[in-house]
Amino acid sequence: METETKPAQKSGPFSLKELENHVDEGRNKLLISCIRCPSKILNAGIAEYKDIEFALPKMTLRKDRKDENIEEEILNQYWMVADKFAFENIGFSNAVSGIQYLICADCEIGPIGWYDKSTQFCYVSVSRVNYRS
Amino acid sequence: MTKTYDYLFKLLLIGDSGVGKTSVLFRFSEDAFNTTFISTIGIDFKIRTIEMDGKRIKLQIWDTAGQERFRTITTAYYRGAMGIILVYDVTDAKTFENIKNWIRNIEENASADVEKILLGNKCELEDRRQVTKERGERLAVEHGIKFLETSAKTGANVEEAFLTLARDIKTKTEKKLEASNPPKGGAIQLKSVEQNRKPSSWFSKCSLL
Repeated sequence: METETKPAQKSGPFSLKELENHVDEGRNKLLISCIRCPSKILNAGIAEYKDIEFALPKMTLRKDRKDENIEEEILNQYWMVADKFAFENIGFSNAVSGIQYLICADCEIGPIGWYDKSTQFCYVSVSRVNYRS
Repeated sequence: MTKTYDYLFKLLLIGDSGVGKTSVLFRFSEDAFNTTFISTIGIDFKIRTIEMDGKRIKLQIWDTAGQERFRTITTAYYRGAMGIILVYDVTDAKTFENIKNWIRNIEENASADVEKILLGNKCELEDRRQVTKERGERLAVEHGIKFLETSAKTGANVEEAFLTLARDIKTKTEKKLEASNPPKGGAIQLKSVEQNRKPSSWFSKCSLL
């Protein structure tokens, strides 16, 4: 049975200590969920930890803001799954130059990661999700 | 990696704009977190996981995302769909009248054995209601499909709608499997599953062409 513990919001990259707490045999130790709603994204042990650099548009750009530019954030730590159906719940945006962005299936916050059409691998930023045991 | 699910069902959400098709997918809030970036590029599909009779089922769900305005929903959109969620708004009679057109569109473009469910959404807006529950039920009976009134706002019957449709597809899928692989006892049954993966005669080979 899954116990609903209050998720601790994760922000910024993992420190070495955090890596130890979150990665077991290269995979996610904890269940991965949305930072804004209770949606479950990936079960524990499903995703592989990857050091890979990829820039994602910022998540906090709300529709009502004035600025037209899409600000990006360079992120270096991701959870990778080789099969999109490994997700419990996920949304895929339409493609922009061969990239589809990943969003929460329930509240649509994102991008929390990206899908690489050429390899069919999906990457979720470690800092754009929550964790629970 | 081992497969983490038993079944994969492809579903479509169909209905006029403004009936709340998109919001039936929000389980925990009324509205989406509306970022400029995501709303500009739009959403392709969503994946949901449900459990039923100990089986893990993946639902891959497409929403027409405004295409319905231009009546451009054609065969390509329906390809591979195993289930269709037809949605109208109980406070807008026009969207209900249009369900007949959508059903015709489905009959013309989708696979003949696609499972369907009819949803009368926004049922929490009782004082603005234009379509009675009875009319919804009657239309569903006429077309031999199931019917539920839902509220994406309160969450009433929304999960139920997905589960009902998934159950109907699962039952149909399992019947098909059984028909092509009649149970003859443990060992033999396993063997015939293996055989089923290959074309069993020249005829089935030809029918693949």
